[in-house]
Amino acid sequence: MAKIIIPFPLRSHTDNQRAVTVDGDTLAAAMDSLFNRHPGLQSINRQPGLLSIFINGRAVERHPEQWQKIAVTADDEITLIIPIAGG
Amino acid sequence: MAHIHGCARIILPEPLWKEIKEHCRRKLAGDFLPDESPVPRAYGILAGSRHGDELVIDRVLPVKKNARNREPLKSYMDQMLTRHAVPSTTPTANRGWITDPAELMECYNRCDREDLLIFGTYHMHVVAWKGDPRRDTPTRLDTLLAEKSNLFTFIISMVDISSPSIRAFFEGDPARETPLVITDRPRYPAPHHHP
Repeated sequence: MAKIIIPFPLRSHTDNQRAVTVDGDTLAAAMDSLFNRHPGLQSINRQPGLLSIFINGRAVERHPEQWQKIAVTADDEITLIIPIAGG
Repeated sequence: MAHIHGCARIILPEPLWKEIKEHCRRKLAGDFLPDESPVPRAYGILAGSRHGDELVIDRVLPVKKNARNREPLKSYMDQMLTRHAVPSTTPTANRGWITDPAELMECYNRCDREDLLIFGTYHMHVVAWKGDPRRDTPTRLDTLLAEKSNLFTFIISMVDISSPSIRAFFEGDPARETPLVITDRPRYPAPHHHP
């Protein structure tokens, strides 16, 4: 279990919840749990490499194939950040 | 928590409009802060509160770091510019802005602490184009970058630095402009400020 912080622009996919508690003891499992509960959030992976993930404020590997190797616990706070861009 | 879409107008208090203009002018003058990306472009976030069908801007949050030349963000921005931007003599690496993810996280956390809604981002256009002398509308690239963002894109025209203007477009879509009213008489109390 872990807590995932949803960035403001994506809260329309979580009924405006700021935080979602998810199952799993790896980052991969936690993200799967999040996507199962809130399928609309799967769009955050539409552009590979744009999603940044922080666990307790520290940046972690952004590539999904590495998420299986990252352990998470009930005390961890996972923050998802999609950078905002302008021309 | 309230939504930001579907509002009738956006209210920008005059003191905050002054902050935005000063940010743009400072960057154009090349007066950079020590921890700021030394590029002559201003980029920032506007946040505030919803009152009925009005969004009231309560905070201007300039962002300092441009991550557009950091992989994998660099490849993404280069590709978007190559495919969709108007050709320019400015080198590709000097075009576009991507917020630093860590700085953006801090910004989001601050807005959550202060119970502020994030309305969107602002950036400036400085060069007049043929048929678009003020450059106060989103480019095609602006629109694509803001697609499905659920945020407003605020465009500041700095073509005439002595007479800037600002307009708001939901998800950077020129067809979804929301009227923006600059006023020196705010009708709502400003929220408590947590520095």
